[in-house]
Amino acid sequence: MQVYEPFRAGLPPLRRYWKSLWSRRTFISEYSRSELREQHFDSAFGQLWLVLNPLLLSAVYFLLIVIISGSSNSTRYAHLTATLFLFYLVANSLTGGVKSITAGQRLILNTAFPRIMLPVSAVVIAIFKFLPTLAVFLVIRTVIGLPFSWQMLWAIPVLLITMLLALGLAVTISCINVYFRDISSFLPYMTRTLLYLSPILYEASDLKPQLRTLELFNPLFPILDSWSRALVHGQAPLTSHMLIGLGWAVGIFLIGTYFFLSREREFAVRL
Amino acid sequence: MTNEIAVSVRGLGLTYTTAIDRRPTLKARVKSLGRGGKQTRVIRALDEVNLDVTYGQVLGIIGSNGAGKSSLMRVIAGILPPSQGRIEVYGSVSTLLALGVGFNPSMSGRDNVYLGGLAAGMSRDEIDSHFEEIADFSELGEAIDAPMRTYSSGMYARLAFSVAATVRPDILIVDEALSTGDAKFKEKSLNRIKELRSDDRALILVSHAMATLEDVCNDVAWLHKGKLVQRGEPKVVINAYREFLQVGKSAAIDEDV
Repeated sequence: MQVYEPFRAGLPPLRRYWKSLWSRRTFISEYSRSELREQHFDSAFGQLWLVLNPLLLSAVYFLLIVIISGSSNSTRYAHLTATLFLFYLVANSLTGGVKSITAGQRLILNTAFPRIMLPVSAVVIAIFKFLPTLAVFLVIRTVIGLPFSWQMLWAIPVLLITMLLALGLAVTISCINVYFRDISSFLPYMTRTLLYLSPILYEASDLKPQLRTLELFNPLFPILDSWSRALVHGQAPLTSHMLIGLGWAVGIFLIGTYFFLSREREFAVRL
Repeated sequence: MTNEIAVSVRGLGLTYTTAIDRRPTLKARVKSLGRGGKQTRVIRALDEVNLDVTYGQVLGIIGSNGAGKSSLMRVIAGILPPSQGRIEVYGSVSTLLALGVGFNPSMSGRDNVYLGGLAAGMSRDEIDSHFEEIADFSELGEAIDAPMRTYSSGMYARLAFSVAATVRPDILIVDEALSTGDAKFKEKSLNRIKELRSDDRALILVSHAMATLEDVCNDVAWLHKGKLVQRGEPKVVINAYREFLQVGKSAAIDEDV
């Protein structure tokens, strides 16, 4: 038996929500699979494009670095590709997530299900697009001749933190887009700004001391620095950066999810 | 007819706030900042509705546009939470509301059927076992694997109806979907509805096709402006509603006409 009663503001019963979400986990995998298939990422050329696109991008940015700084080296290129690829995991989660609720209108108006499934699927798709680029980076790294070390395993917790942050951002922005449909048009400017604020085209240690405050406002700053230290330089990341990154990710995830869950029951009348 | 309750609606009220703009934007909000114009509208869709549906019943819902028919269906299906009252649903519900399946038009009909089913809480195996029948019934043929944006509105409606009517739920809710498709499919779907009538199933049909409702239903409820006006024998209620419409037309009592 199902009972529907008026809800008070705030969260739905979380245990029941989670059960309902967990029982539909095949939806998330099926949705990501059909979405990727529809974008032809199941074919060899589709996969190639998935890798080629960020590679070309990193080549263009490398050109920019060489021109602006006058010189560069292969470690610099490794840093650029590693951080750029991880950055695109977050950026793709945002671009995929922003319209996930508004595009799911038909489904939302016709079926009762935990709405959070839609932005979660968008993040899963972004992760599937990220994985082949990670493999490409490891090839680049080997070709350049950077030494491998056990410290590189720090990349795993950094990746987990990034995924949590991407999930939190996607959930938040998908909900905002229901109320302000033009957020999706602002998004390219926001991601571009975030790209320049992050240690991608430069290394965290290159930042001028007077600009240091910028890193306080960018959740990706400590994360990307830790990622680069682990994967490119084979060093352990700074403990402070790991903790700040984790704090950002958990904070954004909790606030965004609260915001989403307390509003999702009225999405049907807002679409 | 058994008297086991399928859906019990008690003192249901539904009020919601919706955006006036079809597409609310930050830009519009910022532009109207100084003027203090209203961005949202409060809609009172349902008011003190009491309704029991028992298994074996085929309930038709009639009423003019904006009477709250679709809102009532959405509340029973659990899509909209009620503002007042309590709804109890005993059994699995399959819905075919205004929009039906097809949430991602760039995906094929097949993918959309699977995604719709999974979102509704079915398992892959369940959908697998029904899929052949759904595809057959919809008569889409090869088109089932084409992206849904290539479908005509009739094809959309046929696929949507096939999904809802094939999974054989305990409670089937169909909102204005009987009158879509060509004459042949209309008859086919009507026959399917008649087949689905049984003692262990409850059907709720929203429609403007009075003759059809009179034919298939054994109970009809009439909603007007969010209130339940009359409920009972199809013939009686439908005649009362028809009379009301006639009077409304001549005397302009009903401003919704």
